[in-house]
Amino acid sequence: MRRSFLILLGTFAFAAAVFAGSFLFTRQIWVSRMANPADNLEWLRQEFKLTDADMARVRNLHELYSPRCAEMCTRIAAKKAELEAALAGSTNVSASARQKLAELGELRAQCQAQMLQHFIEVSQAMPPEQGRRYLAEMERLTLGFHEQIENAMSNHGGHGSAMH
Amino acid sequence: MKRENSGAENARLTALLHESRPMPALPPRFAEGVWRRIEESEATLFPSQRTGWFDRLVVQILRPRFILPGLAALLVAGSLLGAHDASQMAKRDALERYLASVAPNPLR
Repeated sequence: MRRSFLILLGTFAFAAAVFAGSFLFTRQIWVSRMANPADNLEWLRQEFKLTDADMARVRNLHELYSPRCAEMCTRIAAKKAELEAALAGSTNVSASARQKLAELGELRAQCQAQMLQHFIEVSQAMPPEQGRRYLAEMERLTLGFHEQIENAMSNHGGHGSAMH
Repeated sequence: MKRENSGAENARLTALLHESRPMPALPPRFAEGVWRRIEESEATLFPSQRTGWFDRLVVQILRPRFILPGLAALLVAGSLLGAHDASQMAKRDALERYLASVAPNPLR
């Protein structure tokens, strides 16, 4: 009985090793074959089944948008550095720091508006159904994060009790 | 006449073969030992009612007709799951790369 149990245990261990080995081996092979880090737009082609013509239009829009996005990011980073300098060493929020916060918020809003405009243009470069799905997905992925935080904060007990 | 001659030749041939390949003397009770081993191996392969149900079950499970298809099924299932997982990983990576190129982290 004990010998049979050990044999069965060994068989199960061997079976688990065979399963895990084939799983890891195949996954490794497929990951190395499917990964295409050179193209940032590959996801669009895969997810929305875009044709070469669709991809050419989207790529053109993307190439126009990328430098504007990079410029906005540089301006935001510079404004953040100014804000940090205004906050450094102070124990309260000075008028200068408030001003920098407002400017930073304004820059972020501009950048988000530009990003949403880009999403709309890209969605219009796709077939209508894919375009609608793309726009909804982008809004969920980029703006939804803030909504989650805001919902979490408004549902927080401390905030609710503070208002009453 | 011819048959008698060939019988005699066979006997001579057999004798010659025995002489050319001398066989060592068999140990005492050799045949008895061989039969005992055969019985033991049969008892392992085809356990009698005296062995427990678990032992009989293990013997049944470990037969090649179950083991080989089982291993093949595990290989196929592991490979399919690995391919599926890889495609999900590749999709997530591609999405992350796209998002990083259009919506930098401070905006998300």
